Amino acid sequence: MSATSPIADLTYRDYDGPMNSADHRWWAIAKMMMRMAIARKGFWACALLSGWFYVVMMVVFYFVDVAQSSVGPAQINYFKTVNWKDQFVTGMSTAQLFLFIVALIIGIGTIANDNRANALLIYLSKPCTKLDYLIGKWVGIFIPIYCVALVPGLVFWAYIAMSFREYGSVSSAPWVPLQLFVISLFPACILASLCVGVSSLFNQGRTAGFTLFGIYFIANIFTKMMQGMHFVAPDNRFITDLFYSSIDGLSFGLSKLAMFTDGSLPMVQKAQAGAEIGRPDAWFMFPAFIAVCALSVWIAWIRIRPVEVVG
Amino acid sequence: MNVAEIHGLTVRYGAFTALNNLSVSIPEGCIGLLGPNGAGKTTLLKTILGFVDPAAGGGKVLGFDIATQGKQIRQQIGLMPEQDCHIPGMTAVTFVAYAGELAGMPKEHALRRAHEVLEYCGLGEARYRNVETYSTGMKQRIKFAQALVHGPKLLLLDEPTNGLDPRGRDEMLDLVRSVSHGKGVNVIVSSHLLPDIERTCDEVVLVMNGQLRASGLISELKKIEGHPYDVELREPCPGFADIAVKNGGELLDSRSNTYRIIAPGVREDAVKFLLKCANEAKVQVRGLIPAERSLEDVFLNAISDKPTFDIPGAEK
Repeated sequence: MSATSPIADLTYRDYDGPMNSADHRWWAIAKMMMRMAIARKGFWACALLSGWFYVVMMVVFYFVDVAQSSVGPAQINYFKTVNWKDQFVTGMSTAQLFLFIVALIIGIGTIANDNRANALLIYLSKPCTKLDYLIGKWVGIFIPIYCVALVPGLVFWAYIAMSFREYGSVSSAPWVPLQLFVISLFPACILASLCVGVSSLFNQGRTAGFTLFGIYFIANIFTKMMQGMHFVAPDNRFITDLFYSSIDGLSFGLSKLAMFTDGSLPMVQKAQAGAEIGRPDAWFMFPAFIAVCALSVWIAWIRIRPVEVVG
Repeated sequence: MNVAEIHGLTVRYGAFTALNNLSVSIPEGCIGLLGPNGAGKTTLLKTILGFVDPAAGGGKVLGFDIATQGKQIRQQIGLMPEQDCHIPGMTAVTFVAYAGELAGMPKEHALRRAHEVLEYCGLGEARYRNVETYSTGMKQRIKFAQALVHGPKLLLLDEPTNGLDPRGRDEMLDLVRSVSHGKGVNVIVSSHLLPDIERTCDEVVLVMNGQLRASGLISELKKIEGHPYDVELREPCPGFADIAVKNGGELLDSRSNTYRIIAPGVREDAVKFLLKCANEAKVQVRGLIPAERSLEDVFLNAISDKPTFDIPGAEK
């Protein structure tokens, strides 16, 4: 209805509808973050791509299964050689890049853009505290990444549980569904924390994005160097731990720890010497994980200041 | 009933004292918050919102304690900040509905109310546009809409006409006046523009150096003791003023053909006295209105170190 329409009611009426409690406003922020995230095509594209390894493995398993049915299991003994648990570790590893891109798409501009638009004034003039704001932003990034990390693995597990039970897909790794819920936490926590931390340092989402990408890239180069050194000194535990000292590496290493496996290269029955780096030390990985998350959130906490944004 | 009661409020930023033992009662209605730059107006608003912890003192806003019930206060308050602010990447209707959700409204109610409020603020046609594409005037309106969406009991408007052209300013002031009169919304307007305050507010609170200098009804503050009148004559006539003074009147000011005179005796006889003096001076009276100070005079006098007149309601 046009504002000039003769039947437009332009008088102000007070709102007398229901109001929720002034507490837990962070959930309203998180919900809006998620609504905006799922409205982006890039989010869905990366979410689908993050499960590419599982899709490839499902296709491979399907055709091997079909071939095995044709020629008989005596000729193709492939499924007995598969380490089912390791597929999920590899799947998590191959998803890391796409999870990172999802984080860039939905999370890196979250506080930086708010800084640019003085949006903090809007949030903090409502019954939201600084803590609500930070938790809301964090959760709004965490939940989508967690789902993107978790769902492909669960779908894959459902497929192998239904199709290859006789080859030990369930019995050899009975805790996999639960472990999937755990290992999906690691990239989601790390990326959500890094996003709020780095984003809070800038007034432009793009600048924050380039900075986080720089950190990601440099850390990955470092891990490649450590991988090279690992070939020289394969028994050095310190080098093994340092190999996991990147954004991807933390999630990957923690996934191995949570799955109780050293991992193996896809479709290789037994890890060849030097080809796959074993699991890191828990005493190194968990403090590093907590430190990265806590430091990032702490940076965001000290950067969000309600007083500065008023007048 | 007062919407805010502040007692002995002291706020310090390091060594700088922004509010110095400020005590003020802000009544219901539309109140202007006046003061020069650095007077402490924004700090007072920040404190009301719970952004700043006072060094001493405290108070209540809408019955809630400012030290411990910040969330409850902010749920009942709408803030229209001075500077541009919005939530990036949203259309106007999403933005205003989100502001309602942040305040505690259920999603469906917030969306419906956002449409209503945007229509009311004159943004009905532009509600599906991204806020970042809005003009300055539209951004002012959207700030007003987000402050109003949850039906606040108290609106804090910080320079609501900033950056608006004359027409936009008129429309904004009309909006402010319409919500603050007869709609049950109390409004505190912080502005340097005295005509804006005069047009929208009934009362003012005047702050200087973090202390209250004066407060009260604008009409009372502007009142001059002794019921003076501005007498506009057909042409300048010094003889008229002489006759008025000779008969016991007091000449306060004369500008061209207008004389400000305090008549002796009671208010009811003042007009008769002035017309009698005009008759004696054989001069035609073109206008006769009760004289009052301008709000600007009141403001300048209140912030001056050497005030030239006493203001009713002024802090000694």
